[in-house]
Amino acid sequence: MQLIFKILIITLPTSFILMFYFFLNENDSYPGANFVESNLPEFKLESLENNEILIKNSLGGDFILNVWASWCITCRVEHSYLMELSNDGIPIVGLNYKDERIDGIEWIKKYGNPYQLIIHDLKGSFAMDLGVTGAPETFLIHDGKIVAHYQGEVNKMIWNDVFMPIIEDRGIF
Amino acid sequence: MPILRIFLIFISLNAFSDTLYNFTEESQEIRFNNLIKDIRCPKCTSGSLSSSNAPISEDLKLKIVDMIKENKTDQEIKEYVASRFGKESLYEPDFNKSTYFLWFSPFIFLFLALTFFLFRPK
Repeated sequence: MQLIFKILIITLPTSFILMFYFFLNENDSYPGANFVESNLPEFKLESLENNEILIKNSLGGDFILNVWASWCITCRVEHSYLMELSNDGIPIVGLNYKDERIDGIEWIKKYGNPYQLIIHDLKGSFAMDLGVTGAPETFLIHDGKIVAHYQGEVNKMIWNDVFMPIIEDRGIF
Repeated sequence: MPILRIFLIFISLNAFSDTLYNFTEESQEIRFNNLIKDIRCPKCTSGSLSSSNAPISEDLKLKIVDMIKENKTDQEIKEYVASRFGKESLYEPDFNKSTYFLWFSPFIFLFLALTFFLFRPK
């Protein structure tokens, strides 16, 4: 009994220290990133530029889905990098989130359009099904499945550290 | 002018007031109020949906109202929220393989403490 007691007095605190060491040291340098795979939800919304009805099947192949709004300041910061990606031939679909149609169109005219297609989600219903909590957020879609989700601004560093590994791993684009 | 006064009562603002969320049955409203206390606001550090008026929380509350009206069960609603905003959006963790330790650890520690207490070296 005495021996067990002595052993436990050493091992219990050490195991606690080890547990905290490993849990707190988890290499999770990007808390906004989420790699849980899920199906792209169904939706039926209009396009921003014209009133064409868009559904899930209108979006084919692999692409980046970027949630943005004209009222979103970080989206303005992110915009120049999206233009770069678009010029590099990455297909980007925009999801205009809780924005007036006219404001969204003005914004695109003023700063340039990196999007192949823009979905107008005035009430945020599709965004809610996607699990969007605000703008900007970016999804990587592969074969109708969400394979990566990033909350916050996408820039060169985020693109290389969060999106590139999974793109190279799965051979997307 | 008593007639005018009575008339004024009828056109008062109260006559046009309404509840924020329209439920057909009272039981639905009770369920709603319980659910929003059990679900965390996706954008707040710690705060329930009921305590939050962040835009995303307002939207999520409206979505929950819709789901209640569609006769979805509490479990289905919680799964909807958890699958989108993460397991941590539910205040009460699920009871499954990965949470057994969480649920049973207090009893394990109590048992260990009792054992040590009863069999302590004299």
